[in-house]
Amino acid sequence: MTTTAPADDITGDMVEPATVKRGRPGRMLIGLGVGIAVLLVGLAVPYVVTDTYRMSLLLDATILSMLALGIGFMARHLGMISLGHGAFFGTAAYAVGVAITNWGWSPLNAVIFAILLGSALALVMGVLVVRASGFGFLMLTLALSQALYQLSVQISAREWTGAYDGKLITYEPDMTFLGLTQADLINPGLFWPFAWSALVVSGIVLWVVGRSKFGTTLEGIRENEERMRFSGYNTFLPRLIAFVLSGSVASLGGALFAMNAGYISPQILGFTQAGDSLIAALIGGFGIILGPVIGTFLFVYAQANFNFGGNLHLLTGLLLIVVLVFMPGGITGTLQKVYRRIRGKDRQVSDERGRSGRDIASDRADASELRAENEQ
Amino acid sequence: MSIFEGRGLTVKYGAVVALDNIDISLEPGLVHGVIGPNGAGKSTFIDALSGRKRPSSGKVLLDGSDITRRSARWRRTKGVSRSFQRTSVFGSMTVGEQLEMVARKNDEPDLEGIMKTLGLDEIRDRVCSEIAYGTQRSVDLAIALIGQPRVVLLDEPCAGLVADESVRMLDHVRTVCKERNVAALLVEHDVEGVFRTCDVITVLDLGKLLATGDPASVRADENVIRAYLGSAA
Repeated sequence: MTTTAPADDITGDMVEPATVKRGRPGRMLIGLGVGIAVLLVGLAVPYVVTDTYRMSLLLDATILSMLALGIGFMARHLGMISLGHGAFFGTAAYAVGVAITNWGWSPLNAVIFAILLGSALALVMGVLVVRASGFGFLMLTLALSQALYQLSVQISAREWTGAYDGKLITYEPDMTFLGLTQADLINPGLFWPFAWSALVVSGIVLWVVGRSKFGTTLEGIRENEERMRFSGYNTFLPRLIAFVLSGSVASLGGALFAMNAGYISPQILGFTQAGDSLIAALIGGFGIILGPVIGTFLFVYAQANFNFGGNLHLLTGLLLIVVLVFMPGGITGTLQKVYRRIRGKDRQVSDERGRSGRDIASDRADASELRAENEQ
Repeated sequence: MSIFEGRGLTVKYGAVVALDNIDISLEPGLVHGVIGPNGAGKSTFIDALSGRKRPSSGKVLLDGSDITRRSARWRRTKGVSRSFQRTSVFGSMTVGEQLEMVARKNDEPDLEGIMKTLGLDEIRDRVCSEIAYGTQRSVDLAIALIGQPRVVLLDEPCAGLVADESVRMLDHVRTVCKERNVAALLVEHDVEGVFRTCDVITVLDLGKLLATGDPASVRADENVIRAYLGSAA
């Protein structure tokens, strides 16, 4: 970056500057096509993975991916690392629990209410925190989510949240959620289509937003907030909108989590939840929209398989150090680099073959190559 | 009436008076140079005029109305733009993308014309952080010129440029100012460049106004010679 970066901008170390490409509708259509194909193929997963335990891991990863997706969106487009998205996820989960258990709402209404409440919280919190950048933003989001956690475990909140006991969701008899009974909801294979569709649709929405003109504005703010202001742009509102949008995605994840689990542990609002999701997103990489999702799937898989002797956090920590030191762009970032290197070599070979003094043409080719590379 | 004025601008950093009661007025189509040795308050001056730094006292007027407390964004939408001494561009974006982005906010009928004038049309697809420093300075200038601003405040556009790049940059500034009838303020270190380029010159020293007028009279001014040019020439 040639721009004047704020001195407290720690995010620069964690986020590789990503060039987000937009514009050409052709690419957009291809992307949408791929998204729909992924959606359809994914729906077949319960027929392939028949083992309930494996299926429940995949479902957990899918739901947690929405949290990571929200965190990743802020990191990718604004370079802002949030520890507050766990609060939206958790608030939405509790909202589902309270609406169904305390108020006797139908599950569908409860889910809609939960997403709205989570988004509203993101709006209020966003007004307070999105002006901060780098470290300030990180700490403020952490503080606010910790405050919320403390509120949720107060004795006086027991009626709503169950305090330290957690919240067991109990339904009115014969309630169904989009055709699923309470017993069906807990079945990972039957709940899968909802979680998977929600994840893919959220991913597509965030991807499209990222490539829109609004996405360019966000990139401009990420790269040089001051110059954006001096170019006539409001830099507060776009950051707030991005924060609320990513918070809504996290809320959707939280609501689905509560529907599937039927029980909410207070840990959901705790630091560990938000931290784990951020770590998963970092390991996956922020450079492309899939990064946090891949990171979350790996994280959930590793958590389930390497949790021996209570050393899970030690292993997590080691892995994080390895990734940050040797793969600064995360797993997806490193794959992209490898891919570019291979393509780079191809180009050199073909350059040598075709060297015939057409400098201008090859310059142009270089420019378009550069552009193409940045589109990855 | 001048289009853009600073009246009695004073900026204090604690007990230090960085800018002491300075007046300036800009006219459309004229390049107004501001020179002065290091610490003269040139950058503070442009910050105070552009809304980056609120003056301790004094006023900034646009078309005669007080805009001292208006935000940078508001000023830009009303036609007051600025460039930066430390190159301020959008590193990860291509040259074309960032200029289009700025043009989207500030109606610009002739973006191609600006890019051609500044020699940026050839490199529109290059990522900005990968182009030469001198070219980045041109991008910085282009960003300030988009949207037909009526007033352009340029903070050392030639900082870090080699001699011939510097000459070209100042030529561009003058051409654009005349072609588009812009009121330009040019804060610059390169004294000879300023004398060559500007129609009016203001000299600052230690936050005080030393002289103002056309290049010939400023060059002949005793105070200026004593405080500034004398030691250089």
